[in-house]
This record gives sequence, structure tokens and C-alpha cells, in this order.
Amino acid sequence: MATLEVAGLRQIYGGRTVLSLETLAVEPGARLALVGPNGAGKSTLLRLLAFLESPAAGTISLEGHPVAGGAARRAARRRVTLVEQRPYLFRGTVAGNVAFGLRAAGLRDPAVEQRVRAALEKLQLQALALRDARQLSEGEIQRVAVARALATEPVALLLDEPASSADRAAQQAMFSALAEEQSRRPLTVVFASHMLEDAYRWADRLLALHQGLPSPVTPENLFRVDLPGGATMQRVAVGPLRIDVVSDRMGPATLAIAPDEIVLSAAPLQSSARNVFRGRIVRLAEHGAEMRVTIDAGIELVAIITRRSFDEMGLAVGGEVYASFKSVAVKVF
Amino acid sequence: MLVLLNTALAFPTVVIGLIIYGLLARRGPLGALGLLFTWQAIVVAEVILALPIATALSAAAVQAVDPRVRRTALTLGAGTLRTAWAVAREARFTLAAAVVVAFGRVLSEVGAALIVGGNIRHETRTLTTAITLATSQGNFSLAVGLGLVLLALALTVNVLIQLLQGRGDA
Repeated sequence: MATLEVAGLRQIYGGRTVLSLETLAVEPGARLALVGPNGAGKSTLLRLLAFLESPAAGTISLEGHPVAGGAARRAARRRVTLVEQRPYLFRGTVAGNVAFGLRAAGLRDPAVEQRVRAALEKLQLQALALRDARQLSEGEIQRVAVARALATEPVALLLDEPASSADRAAQQAMFSALAEEQSRRPLTVVFASHMLEDAYRWADRLLALHQGLPSPVTPENLFRVDLPGGATMQRVAVGPLRIDVVSDRMGPATLAIAPDEIVLSAAPLQSSARNVFRGRIVRLAEHGAEMRVTIDAGIELVAIITRRSFDEMGLAVGGEVYASFKSVAVKVF
Repeated sequence: MLVLLNTALAFPTVVIGLIIYGLLARRGPLGALGLLFTWQAIVVAEVILALPIATALSAAAVQAVDPRVRRTALTLGAGTLRTAWAVAREARFTLAAAVVVAFGRVLSEVGAALIVGGNIRHETRTLTTAITLATSQGNFSLAVGLGLVLLALALTVNVLIQLLQGRGDA
């Protein structure tokens, strides 16, 4: 039975539909990543899954039971916990923060203390237990918030952009704590990220959202491939193209090419880039000083270039360009 | 509702005194209670004076609390009461300020106390009405002395509130 299941879900803010999701089922122990640009509806979906707001239409079921009405949502919130993008720590100590949910669940002192200690240990925060929550770094705040959420032993943990503010070490601590927890019990984890790298490194499933809708195309140059293996330098088939990558892996994998690693030129480049493909511009989108150029080169590639270069090159939809990128720019997951 | 409350904030204390006088006067609607010119009447008047200030400032204090506080408390499984308590805890400095301001208004109030209390010696004479009387009788040194007592009282209460909020937690 799915931990969380969505049917015909719709959310509307001020007359505008911000999320529309027909179905979604997240199984126990799953690691689902929600990816997409800002404003895609990721945070809205997380708040709905956390039962913090009620949908304009549709139902969300928790462990097979549809959750509707204030009382049911209140009960469901005891089983699902959201860690916000910039988590809020209450005034007081770190330990006091971690104890909050336990006291809300009606636990008393010896039990609370023991669970707080265990939760802090999971995120290597024992040393900070008595520190003032207002005097922590961003990475520490993030970890305390995760410890506070895990202390209540939720069946599902939702994280909004867990990697955006925290430093690398804090992220590492957080993800390994979650993995550790999942090895102990079937904790369901759903997290939103605009960083695909994190999503691919950690998730076992990905839901791409775009303007509130599930997006059929994976965003930004992601390709499922079958690595031939045998050498560090490999040539992989992606549609009709052959892409050179550096990886010692073999078998099914995902390739990701960061859009800002792709160089566009009017003629084939004489450079160290091992991957050069000719294509036709099919879409253009403006983002401030940047242009997002989608090229059909047999597969669709997205490149981000500056507005200035775009103007100087005189690019337009239908025009022909060469896309080049180094084999080391291709990330293999 | 908020407009009414804000109007009540600026209500002249003498007018409040008059209204309550009208209500409590022997021929008034609440005259049967026999409260006029008793200390209980002063309490009623001061509560009516302090309530709008305390309410308006508390509402402002709670509204100013980060919306994440409520969401965080809820997602950690807190019920309505515990969530409200969490919000109030985060707003405790501004809430304390509301109490201090309301207390200040009551402490410094003369008009209503004079009208509904009647400034009866040993019965309904308050520090402020006593100061008013002493000054009008030309007993200036007594007035100043009582004024100092009043100031000391205000100081003491404020210090106590400060202590209650917990030190070191600026």
C-alpha cells in the first residue's frame, strides 16, 4: 500500500491553478525527488502532501485512507512531517526544538530525553544539544530541523530544497542520516530540488514539474543510457547520437549535461571538446540576461548562453548551430 | 472589528468614565448592582480601558510572527492549542510590550477613576486621583511624593515583566 497517494489533485491560489496532478503514488521506503524550476509547484505539492493546506480538488490518501477534513488532516500531520526550505527553529535550545514534536505527541520526560538524544545522534548534533537555536549556522539549522522531524518517527518525511542553503558537509550528514533511517524502517522520503545532480545522486524516482503540471520531458539534458563499459572513456548511444563520456561504470545509467556547459557556435569548433553536434534551434526562452536555447540535434539539447552572445551570433528559431561540450562535462549517475 | 478596536484605543478616558457612570448610576441599567463609587466600579472602568489596547497590540504581535512558526508547529503534530502557544512564545516580547502599554494606560489614568470612583478617601481614592486632589488643594509636596510612589510602582512592574521574559534572551 502506498504511503502517500494522490488522485485528481488541484491547487488554486488567487484564481490561478498552481498545481494539477492526476495521480502519484509514493511507496514505503521510496525516495522521490520533485524537480523543476522555481514556481513549478514543488513546494505547493509538498505542503499538500504534508496536509498543511487543503487542495482545491482531489484527494490525498495516507496509507490507503483518504484524508479529508480538519480532524483527519490533524491526525495525518502526526505521521507526515515537512522540513521547509529555510527551516524555522523555535526560541530556546536545540534539544528543546527536537523535543517539540515529541511533547506534541504526548510523550513525557524520560522518553522525550531519550528520543531527543537519539535524534541528535542520527545527525551528529549531540554537541549542539544545549546551544541556543538562534546561534546556529545555516547548515546546522538544516540538520536540527531534520533531527526534529525524524524524532517524531514519521512514516513520510518531506524536504523542500534540502540542499539549497546547507553546506556540503551538512548535506552529506543529512542524506546519510536519511539513508541510515531507511535501512532501519521503510521511511518514505519526498524532496524537492532544483538541483538535478542532488536529485539523481539520491533519489530512486523523479517527478519533473513544470508550471504546476507533471512534465513528460526530463528537464535539462538528462538521458537514460546503457553504458557499454570496458574503458574509462566510453562512447554511448543516445538516440542517433554517440556521446563521449568519462566513466568506469557499466550498464544502465543517466547522463546529465549542464546547459551552461554547452557551447554554441556557427561553425564546428576546433577545440578540446570531444562532443560536437550539428542541430537546429527549435525553441528560445529568455531569462533575464540569459537565453535558453533548445536545439534539435537528433536529441533535444538545452544550452544556456548570455543574451549578448545570442544577439551577436544572430540566432533564431530554425537556424543551424553547432553544440559542443567536453566529455568530462557529461555527468554520469 | 479592527476599526472598532482602533477607535477604542483613542477613546478619551473621561468619556469611558461617563459611559460607565451612566450605566452604573442608580437610575442606570446596571444601577441595581450598587457599584457606583466603589473600587469595583474603578476596576470595571480600567479593564474596559485596557482591553482594547491589550487586544490590538497582541493581535499585531501575533500577526507579525513568522508564518513558518505556525506551519512548523502543525507539521510536527501540534494541535490548535499547542500551535497557538508556540506562536505566542515566539511573540512573547511584543506580547509583553502590549501588557506594559496597557498597564501604563491604567496606571496613569485619572478621568474614569475620578468619575466612577468619586475619589472617596480610604475607599476609592487612587494614587492619581489623590495627586490631582493634592495639587488642586495646593499641597504640592504631597503631590510630588505620591507621584514618586507611582513612578516607583511603574518601574517595579516593568522590571518584573522584564525578568519574567527571561534574561539573556534578547
